[in-house]
Amino acid sequence: MPQLKSEQMALSAAESGRRDFLKGALATAGCLLIPVEVDTRADAAEAASYEFTDWIRLGSDGRTVIGLSQCEAGQGVYTGLPQILTDEMDADWRQVSVEFVTGKDAYRIAAANEPLQQFVGASMSVTQFHTRLRIAGAQAREALLRAGAARLGVRFTQCQTGDGRVIHPMSGRAIGYGDLAADAARIPLNPNPPLKPASERPLIGKNLKRLDTPAKVDGSAVFGIDVKVPDMLVGAVRMAPSQTGKVVAIKNEAEIRARPGVKAIVTAPFWPKPAHNTVIVVADSYWIAKQAADALDIEFDLGPAAGLDSKKIFEQRNAALDQEKAVVATRLGDAQQIFDASPGEIIEARYHTPYIVHATMEPVVATVHVRDGEIEVWGPIQGQDMVRETLGAYFKIPPQKVIVHTTFVGGSFGRKYVPDFVLHAAVASSAVGKPVKVIRSREDDIRHGYYRPCASARFRAVLGKDGYPTAMHARVVGQSLYGVIKQKAMAAAGGWDETMLDSIYDLIYRVPNLTVDNVDTKQPIPVSFMRSVGSTSAVFFLESFIDELAHAAKIDPYRYRRRLLAHDARAIAVLDLAAATAEWDKRPASGIHRGIAFNLYTGRGGAFETYVAQVAEAEIIKGRVAIKRIVCAVDTGKVVNPGLVKANIEGGIGFALTNTFNSEITFANGEVEQSNFHDYPLLGLSEMPKIEVVLVDSDRPPQGCGEVSLGPVAPAVANAIHEATKVRLRSMPLPRQIVPA
Amino acid sequence: MQFVLNDRPVTFDGDDQTPLLWVIRESIGLTGTKFGCGIGACGACTVHVEGEPTRSCTMPVKGIARRRVTTIEGLSRDRSHPVQRAWIEKDVPQCGYCQSGMIMTAAALLKAHPQPTDEQIDQYMTNLCRCATYHRIREAIHAATQV
Repeated sequence: MPQLKSEQMALSAAESGRRDFLKGALATAGCLLIPVEVDTRADAAEAASYEFTDWIRLGSDGRTVIGLSQCEAGQGVYTGLPQILTDEMDADWRQVSVEFVTGKDAYRIAAANEPLQQFVGASMSVTQFHTRLRIAGAQAREALLRAGAARLGVRFTQCQTGDGRVIHPMSGRAIGYGDLAADAARIPLNPNPPLKPASERPLIGKNLKRLDTPAKVDGSAVFGIDVKVPDMLVGAVRMAPSQTGKVVAIKNEAEIRARPGVKAIVTAPFWPKPAHNTVIVVADSYWIAKQAADALDIEFDLGPAAGLDSKKIFEQRNAALDQEKAVVATRLGDAQQIFDASPGEIIEARYHTPYIVHATMEPVVATVHVRDGEIEVWGPIQGQDMVRETLGAYFKIPPQKVIVHTTFVGGSFGRKYVPDFVLHAAVASSAVGKPVKVIRSREDDIRHGYYRPCASARFRAVLGKDGYPTAMHARVVGQSLYGVIKQKAMAAAGGWDETMLDSIYDLIYRVPNLTVDNVDTKQPIPVSFMRSVGSTSAVFFLESFIDELAHAAKIDPYRYRRRLLAHDARAIAVLDLAAATAEWDKRPASGIHRGIAFNLYTGRGGAFETYVAQVAEAEIIKGRVAIKRIVCAVDTGKVVNPGLVKANIEGGIGFALTNTFNSEITFANGEVEQSNFHDYPLLGLSEMPKIEVVLVDSDRPPQGCGEVSLGPVAPAVANAIHEATKVRLRSMPLPRQIVPA
Repeated sequence: MQFVLNDRPVTFDGDDQTPLLWVIRESIGLTGTKFGCGIGACGACTVHVEGEPTRSCTMPVKGIARRRVTTIEGLSRDRSHPVQRAWIEKDVPQCGYCQSGMIMTAAALLKAHPQPTDEQIDQYMTNLCRCATYHRIREAIHAATQV
């Protein structure tokens, strides 16, 4: 396994000058378990290869294997990150293949003030690895340049590189990188290599095809569910119906255990809680395991959340909207004084969003082999170090003894960062002493998720004579995400949750008197990050309310936002681009109604800033809403690959339309009421609008793009529906059928 | 019991109520066909049975005895099926998990309607994609008619 090799070598960035000769390392191309290489060029298995930095293996045949520390869950890092490195290295893109790597410090990043870890999250991959990969590429390029010049007997300053060759223009001679690999590997790497100027970056901004597409159209891409390990067994789970349940007794354990093919019946905890709420049947095959699990007669104790009920959760939030006490996140001027002075002029609105679940197409699944003092994991892992630390702590071994092999990820959106499913497979493997793959059913995937929390908001504002707000008070309440998973950081920030107040606590609109506060209405419900995190609620609240103010002021909602953004040229440019592309100032086609929304997406802890503006076009026939087109303008800094950015924007909009119209997790008698796609429906192809993405040409470094397009979708749609019907929809999911006001 | 998988006869001697999906994935070892929901709702498990798109997660293997089954691995040997070529041309997949089922459904659509209208695509393509690659799927289906 190449990953194992990386572990054993444990080269730190500081030691990266030392390279090892890896005879036959490319032989892993034939490995069936891990998608080391997705192309079919497996004929050069005997070529020698040489490591350059923590990222590159260059073969004597010119093949360039680029390490990918970030999992590929559809966001395009499998192509975009190697593209950055290849560009700086001047390697030949046609010779590049990709391999998932784990275990080195160079692969770790941090969001905000969190500890360094290898993970994907918060749309950070390109922003965080851009410079790191350029340096790696430049280091390799310089070593190859010097090796090439020496071979040609000329000064290296007289040579150039391009398409995987060192070229001596004066003589017209050139040598391929593969022929220089052995020589270059002996040259110490320059710790501060010069980076190429923008004019000499041929691959940046180029719409290169995705490297993972071929394997994803012929069924050969290996996802977590596809892992095969010798001697492997398969597990199916049954989980307690409530969120705080535990297994009391398995009444027919002996009978089920005696079924042909059943190997073990194991109980396991639901991370991070210690209580065993899960029963895993381990068997020769999934279907045998699943049948046996379904036949188990299990007595569960539902625990303290046995009475969990969505109506009560809603009442709790609604009450918190009006309570005196709240944690203030932002206070500019004195909004209350203005409200007190003109109580009759206060415009107030309340908005609500429900719990929702990731519902990845590939349910959570992992394969784990727990051995004596060492654990090996194969799966769709979004947080490699999270897995290592979780299993290390549980089995009392150092995290370095947990080896993680990353497969393709069949959708994650944050879900597969949570290590619960890996722990399940590990507990099962530990019990039977063999590798075990545990596949969660769709029903338990939905009923035992780590949900995006519910939220409610109350907005109040007073408008000046010109129609623009002089005072605003925004309150968001709900189960706080950080109140569950980042309590220390939340306390350090003064007790408010930045995710609940996304785009509100740092409001870009100019409002002179502004109060923003929040209330954590605690619930015993597992929650975690989900694509676009709090902004899928907060931006709906904010952008709906801004629209309400524009209508109250009788000002066009595009111009209203434009005026409130007048101080920010980038914001204006993006808003104008969306409006111009949608031809906002022209009357739409008959029956089409438009809504607009804007967002400045600030990455976690201020990691990046991406500007987004959308225009949604709705057609409403007999009260039935169809979204026909969404125009989305984006300033996400320098674009590495426009095709990848557009795919992220398009997919984000589709994902958000599911949130907008379809998604709601509800609780009754302690249980999640939904269970599969019939009652937790996703947007279908026939409901997908035309999407037009327009990218702003920018000189800023690359900013995040994977999550930025979601927030504005629901408000742009709700604003369009209001435009059409005068009905203001303030609760998600929005109805597809509008009842006239 | 016997059936024909990707033009080769295969024998399965387990429980004949086992869904075809798990026979294909676990007994035969072809993993391009995916498990998504287990209730025939998402289409990630779509294969062809006698050329008809079939959701294999709810089809007991008993029901396909002596019939011909084609999976994504059997659609072409070299990604040369017009739908696969169009999928590559339009860079359709994101996470890719649903795409085997999408491609099998699209291939069947084009057999039934060689020049499908958008309405026919809407009616036929009921598979789910959480990454929402839908509008590239539509583009790719139209492109496949030109391949």
